[in-house]
Amino acid sequence: MEDFIYFFTFQDPSIVWVVLGITLLGIGSAYVGTFSFLDKKALLGDAISHAVLPGICLGFMLAGEKNPVYIVTGAFLSGGVATFLSSWLKRNTKLSEDTIIATILSVFFGFGIVLLTSLQKSGNPEIAGLNSFIFGNAIGISESDLMLYGGLSLVIIVVLTLMLKEFRLMVFDPEYGKAIGFPMKAISFLFNVLMILAVVIGIQAIGVVLMAALLITPGAAARFWTDRLNPLLILAAVFSVLSGILGTYVSFVLPQMPTGPWVVVFLSMFALISFLISPKSGIISRYFSRKKYLRKTHRDHLMKALYKAKEGGKNGLPVEEIYELYPYQKAETSKSIKYLDRSQFIVKNQYVISLTEKGISDAMRIVRLHRLWELYLNESMNIAPDHVHDSAEQLEHLITPELEALLEKRLNYPTLDPHQETIPRENHDLR
Amino acid sequence: MITQVENPILEIHDLTVSYDQNPVLWNVDLSLPGGKLVGILGPNGAGKSTLIKAIMGLIAPTSGYVKVFDKPLNEVRSRISYVPQRESVDWNFPASVLDVVMMGTYGKLGLFRRPGKKEKDIALKSLEQVGMSGFVKRQISELSGGQQQRVFIARALAQEADLYLMDEPFAGVDMSTETAIFQLLQEMTAAGKTVIVVHHDIHSAMNFFDWLIMLNLHLVASGPKELVMNEELLRKTYGGKLNLLTRVTDMIRQKDFNPLKS
Repeated sequence: MEDFIYFFTFQDPSIVWVVLGITLLGIGSAYVGTFSFLDKKALLGDAISHAVLPGICLGFMLAGEKNPVYIVTGAFLSGGVATFLSSWLKRNTKLSEDTIIATILSVFFGFGIVLLTSLQKSGNPEIAGLNSFIFGNAIGISESDLMLYGGLSLVIIVVLTLMLKEFRLMVFDPEYGKAIGFPMKAISFLFNVLMILAVVIGIQAIGVVLMAALLITPGAAARFWTDRLNPLLILAAVFSVLSGILGTYVSFVLPQMPTGPWVVVFLSMFALISFLISPKSGIISRYFSRKKYLRKTHRDHLMKALYKAKEGGKNGLPVEEIYELYPYQKAETSKSIKYLDRSQFIVKNQYVISLTEKGISDAMRIVRLHRLWELYLNESMNIAPDHVHDSAEQLEHLITPELEALLEKRLNYPTLDPHQETIPRENHDLR
Repeated sequence: MITQVENPILEIHDLTVSYDQNPVLWNVDLSLPGGKLVGILGPNGAGKSTLIKAIMGLIAPTSGYVKVFDKPLNEVRSRISYVPQRESVDWNFPASVLDVVMMGTYGKLGLFRRPGKKEKDIALKSLEQVGMSGFVKRQISELSGGQQQRVFIARALAQEADLYLMDEPFAGVDMSTETAIFQLLQEMTAAGKTVIVVHHDIHSAMNFFDWLIMLNLHLVASGPKELVMNEELLRKTYGGKLNLLTRVTDMIRQKDFNPLKS
């Protein structure tokens, strides 16, 4: 708890720096990553982040120490070579994109590990810091490094904000962009540069292995919550920054812990929560809305049964008989009866249930929709009368008042359905 | 049966287009008058979309050139509007109807400048013209095929161009919408704009177009509807591919390079 307060009250200026750095980095990479996620280029981000490792090692070799400028330049160049190579291979060979990306990723990463191992054997005392590039260590970043990374993040954020319209076009409809004379090749080149930059500045904090997660997961998680671009970008940035800060906190409290994996753990948590509970596409809310729909259909069917009994001259049905209509669904049926009773659609009179005025009117509507649909199928789609019931059983719950009006007009306000049953309307004599 | 015109709004000179090694359009040479509603007819794989894309400079031709308003394409792009096929984009992209239609104003805005109130008004007006005013804020994935098509047409209208090139704008559109859109296009041509439409249905083509281009890997006909709409030309267009031409195409495809490219 003490650590928690110490960290989040930002008493320590070095923590302020780290948090500021990780915030900028989070915004920048979430921003770029969301576009590449929308552009279905998620794998390319993964390939680039693995491919920067040889560049880091070569930068280290040239500088002879952990010089951030050498390392960033090396990483950027080797990420650039990988990106260029993958698009060159795609243009000039018949290999599919996933093959190319998988190959580039493993070849570059393998080469990087070879270099890293040989560096470790060389006995250079500075080599210890290089290991943190694999899984990342946000706490170990020096202030001067942070200036560089933060500055580059700002560049990414500013460029993407200024060119939002161009990148939107690049992802949604590049052909059209070309048709209106925009330099789409240059725009997509610039985007690749930004993506490599985002990877390069993230590697020290997150590490090459997991950097792709920081690019892609925020956008993917945020997509569950919104279907507009601007809120999507903002939400992705929020997820990314929160995970970044939480991950940094963990590696602050537990010094042996690398930052990258923890950032990814928190990111995945956000993604999982979004997947489960987002109001539109989360699986829990989808489960509940389906359940709600099924309850309503059950109630509708019950009302219909009561109405048909009334058509047959019986004023109401005994409760027992109603339960028998829906075997194995006793709990459901009892819930429906309670609900309908509460909403005053039905009345219970000594174990006999009958429709109220309000109930008759609603039951009539359901029966009317059912029979109108049957007639429509029969008349307009030439479906035999004995084949129309099942479809009507589903559609009666779905047809809106506008569709109903359209059906009535189309069928010219019919009185009988294909089974010669009356299509009931409000002025019907059953009332 | 190819009618050439004086002072054409669009001139296509001896245009051959290939995808990789595969020639898909052979030596198309035609010219079009302004202010007409022009239909491009032909069977599947006849090169209709390819012709439109080549006019827009989206595919580099193997040989030949295109001139619009008597100028090279890049000088007059802002006066040309393009409607791509509906399937060419991912409609799950997070955007509203208005967002997409606003893209029509990007060309005039140029790079870096953001669309403002004026652009929004243009977009709203364009949506009204295609009868989609009620869908301004709708997410594009929630639209029906016909509505998506109308959003694309509205985007083209927002460009306020003089020449419109539309690739299959009636695919997946119901009859009443088709008629409404055709009426809109006729109003546009009456106002002096030129509209070129890749189209499938010969029946509605007879009713609505002023001028027809018939394609089947090569140019079969180009001229006023009354002159070219006859059985012989329709048979040439739709009566199967020229056997010899197909075999030459196959032969070229099997080569490692394109011998037609200079």
